[in-house]
Amino acid sequence: MKIVLNEEPYEFVGNTLEDLLLELEKSQQGIAIAINQQVVPKSLWRTTKLNEQSQVFIFESIAGG
Amino acid sequence: MSSLLIAGHEFHSRLFTGTGKYASAQAMMDSLAASESELVTLSLRRMDLKNQTDNILLPLQRQGMKLLPNTSGARTAKEAVFAAELAREALETHWVKLEIHPDPRYLMPDGMETLLAAEELIKKGFVVMPYVHADPVLCKRLEEVGCQCVMPLGSPIGSNMGLASRPFLEIIIEQSRVPVIVDAGIGAPSDAALAMEIGADAVLVNTAMAVAKQPAQMGKAFKLAVEAGRMAYESGLGEKRLQANATSPLTDFIGALS
Repeated sequence: MKIVLNEEPYEFVGNTLEDLLLELEKSQQGIAIAINQQVVPKSLWRTTKLNEQSQVFIFESIAGG
Repeated sequence: MSSLLIAGHEFHSRLFTGTGKYASAQAMMDSLAASESELVTLSLRRMDLKNQTDNILLPLQRQGMKLLPNTSGARTAKEAVFAAELAREALETHWVKLEIHPDPRYLMPDGMETLLAAEELIKKGFVVMPYVHADPVLCKRLEEVGCQCVMPLGSPIGSNMGLASRPFLEIIIEQSRVPVIVDAGIGAPSDAALAMEIGADAVLVNTAMAVAKQPAQMGKAFKLAVEAGRMAYESGLGEKRLQANATSPLTDFIGALS
């Protein structure tokens, strides 16, 4: 599926947010996801389906003051 | 020394700390441990998909730190509310340090956007800790809309200029019915001690600890300063006056020699 991830075109195998995270091999700790500018609660990541050209943003927590 | 309550959470340390600018995660953890701080701030950013970033979350959680995500990077109330909602998911906390600074040079907080965002976030159930200019009117307004504390600045972020805003901080402290946390610009332990002596409920320190040659020792220096300042405040400082007031009884025995 072709989506737009953090403003870059991205292609992955599968159709849910969880499939995307598995492919990215990123820790699910301390991250947040928004699709089309709506925050998706963690409890819904498994079942949330993406569409072609969905605008997905993944955020991570980093050091800061 | 009394403990500090914010939104029902009890803090034994009145030193809050930031996690930015440390040379390494280990330096940060050593410094935070020495400071005995119980609350640390964190930021959010778009995930770097190409590189694995240093995971600082795990050691902080293991240490039992309360995590306070900030909305740094937000330039409007709308962006800040979005950042807070993301942070709530990322860090599983409904506490947020609300900061909105549209100008990257001086990083001055935008009071109007901050008030708008605070109102909305409080309606959404957040514990809002707003970073603002040392503006007594704005701090009162923030308290009135339900902020659980206010975080006025001492001087610009990272400037190490100390309590340049002191007269206004004193007004805020006198008027406030919620805890006042002096944030930004605290460059030396003496600045932190002074903030506590004038009655601040806590201070937030980042740069001064993070960029020290020995961050762990500096962490401890800040811990001691905050405790000393708070103890002095609680003990009651004497009034300043121009004229001397003898600490020894003025007897006339020397006069007896003539």
